[in-house]
Amino acid sequence: MRVLLFLLSMGSLWAQPGPAKGSKVPDFEALDQNGSRQSLKSIMGPRGAMLVFFRSADW
Amino acid sequence: MAAISYDSPAILKNFAGRKQITFPLLSDPDSKIIRAYGILNETAPKGPFYGIPYPGTFVVDTNGIVIAKYFEDDYTERYTSADILIKQFGAEASAAHSTIEAKHLRISASSSTAVVRPGQRIVLVLDIELKPGIHVYAPGVEGYIPIDLAIGDSAALTAHPALYPPSKMLHLQAINETVPIYTGRIRVLREVTIGKSAPVGDLLIEGAFRYQACDDEKCFIPETVPVKWALRVDPPDRQRAPAEIQHKTK
Repeated sequence: MRVLLFLLSMGSLWAQPGPAKGSKVPDFEALDQNGSRQSLKSIMGPRGAMLVFFRSADW
Repeated sequence: MAAISYDSPAILKNFAGRKQITFPLLSDPDSKIIRAYGILNETAPKGPFYGIPYPGTFVVDTNGIVIAKYFEDDYTERYTSADILIKQFGAEASAAHSTIEAKHLRISASSSTAVVRPGQRIVLVLDIELKPGIHVYAPGVEGYIPIDLAIGDSAALTAHPALYPPSKMLHLQAINETVPIYTGRIRVLREVTIGKSAPVGDLLIEGAFRYQACDDEKCFIPETVPVKWALRVDPPDRQRAPAEIQHKTK
């Protein structure tokens, strides 16, 4: 049973990694493809933002 | 909107040029942001692949509060952004559009995406306009046939459960019953994930929309309306960045 519960909790972690719904995401600074400095604030739209984390644009 | 990866700005510039991407692609070469978000894939092998995140999307409000998260269990599957925009924000869907005139309603069928790739999760949309005075029944109704959008699984796709809008309650005085119904305009969504072995080329997705329509006086014979979406499957894009700017073994 303990193993099962452990596996279940791993499963839910796996499904939804990172900041939970209702929590604030960390701010950041990064260069974009044009070399411009961007932050959470600079990419924010009038209704919020979508942050898409992807593996790579190379391979 | 922004997309974040551990690629260099040079790789992102090359990729944005090839794909005509104008929204910000953010470079996180040391995976600092990826770590701060707690989504570093620790199981990635050491070497050029180390530093990648678990792929997924956060939708945040203007205060940076997470209002939705879209992460797939299987890393070869991905929510597409168009799917999220339609599901989360009720955006218009315009791809693979067709219109069907049925007896008691008009159906506008569309897809979030016209050209898909294996592993992508897209959303198929039915915007339904009932004729004046007509109602149909919502899922959960007893004694009547609720609306239903059926799409069969195949090697080309896996269909996720249909998403129906909130219903309103109708009191039927004659029989003193209250039942959940829809009138006017409603939207039914059904996400599908394109199969890893989906054949490249034309993909015709066929479904069936079932309903039982009634007006204030009588109910009509239940109807099943065929619906379809004509899409195209492209192979996975395996083109790399030019050799001089590729990720190298560190």
